[in-house]
Amino acid sequence: MTTPHAPRPLVFEHVPLGRDASQSFTLEIPAHHTVAVLGDEDSGLGALGSYALGLDRPPAGRVLTFDTDVAALPDRERLAFRRRVGYLPAGEGLLQNLSLRDNIALPLRFGSDASPREIDGRVNVMLAAVRLAAGGHLRPAQANEEERRRAALARAIAFDPSLLVLEQPFDGLTARVASELLELARGGESAEGARRTIFITGQEIPPLLLRRVERVYRLTRAGALEPETV
Amino acid sequence: MRAATQLTAAGRAVAVRIGINQVRFTALHAVGLVTLLSGILSFLVISQATRELGRIGATDLIGTLIVVAIVRELGPLITALVVAGRSGTAIAAELATNQVLGEVRALEGMGIDPKQYLVLPRFAGSLISMFALLVVFDLVAVLAGYGAASLNGMSGARYFDIVRASLTYKDVWLTVFKALAFGFIVGVVPSYFGLAVRRAPTEIPIAASRAVVSAIVGIFLCSALFVALG
Repeated sequence: MTTPHAPRPLVFEHVPLGRDASQSFTLEIPAHHTVAVLGDEDSGLGALGSYALGLDRPPAGRVLTFDTDVAALPDRERLAFRRRVGYLPAGEGLLQNLSLRDNIALPLRFGSDASPREIDGRVNVMLAAVRLAAGGHLRPAQANEEERRRAALARAIAFDPSLLVLEQPFDGLTARVASELLELARGGESAEGARRTIFITGQEIPPLLLRRVERVYRLTRAGALEPETV
Repeated sequence: MRAATQLTAAGRAVAVRIGINQVRFTALHAVGLVTLLSGILSFLVISQATRELGRIGATDLIGTLIVVAIVRELGPLITALVVAGRSGTAIAAELATNQVLGEVRALEGMGIDPKQYLVLPRFAGSLISMFALLVVFDLVAVLAGYGAASLNGMSGARYFDIVRASLTYKDVWLTVFKALAFGFIVGVVPSYFGLAVRRAPTEIPIAASRAVVSAIVGIFLCSALFVALG
């Protein structure tokens, strides 16, 4: 009897990056690993998250999420597929006219058949997990950066995804808060490593976190991907 | 319409809540303005008509004036212009802001169809509001016409007899179809222009302006089409 092949969480193959798209980016994110790719704003790495979710299609090469080219899926299937991946976009992407609590509940309301009571219960658990129980009623504009980031992370893990894509998740946060959020994102430890696979893009991550990230790469200005020395 | 049928129960509840808010802003908050415009327009037209038509003994024609000119033609047109000016701008600016703040992308990243969350409730709200405001416009127009006719010596019974005799089922259906068609234009055109914005905040006022101009042009063209077909 053969073991079925487990889909690879995230693979970038020969994806052009940078302003002139002259460099090819290839990287596989192994399951249960936390991998960070750091680089300058103009390196083009800001597009990697949207490629992973099929929000944009790379001009060449391919991006496979759980062995699926998400951008090639039909509309409805593409939306449904994205619920398998947690996403914290740069700038959080919280809806300004909703409270932090309603922002966390939103994907559950639109993407699950759970009853309102079940959704409320799940949101209460999420709020407590990200230490936002007292601030859930705040609108994003009334909350501070740390509260917004906590809410955005809670929203990203609302469906308890096995893959998380985090864009600039730690910018503007203290090392302590960043460390706490990373632990939440990892979802605890399993025999293979973290319970979730995490792909982080950003300009920097706090040095304190480098030990908890299995692989850190830096995208150089020349477009080369170099392992970051810890 | 397909987007509506694919909503989950909790998602439908959210969409209904947004739709109700839209109706409150689009219809309820515009009742005063529509009442004022309808009342003044009808009062002026019927006052002048009663005087001028009275000289040649053709006061029966004020029924045609009320029904054809005001209820069937000007009522839908003026109501649609009010809704386009107030709510069309708001819808376009709101959706454009959602787009610029990255909220639309975040929704897509969470697996939520922006058409379901952003467009559908506003579209439904516009249809309902347009219809409700048109009923208000026509009722006020008939009542203001009664006031004007009374001031110019016509009895109430005679006025209402003339109006009732001039009103046909065709007028009622045409008015209903116009309300739906104009509501469709005011719901869809600003949503399209709002979501067409890319990333720059400077695009927001441009989108709002284009949305209103296009909606007004659409309303006039549609009105002309109704006359041509009717």
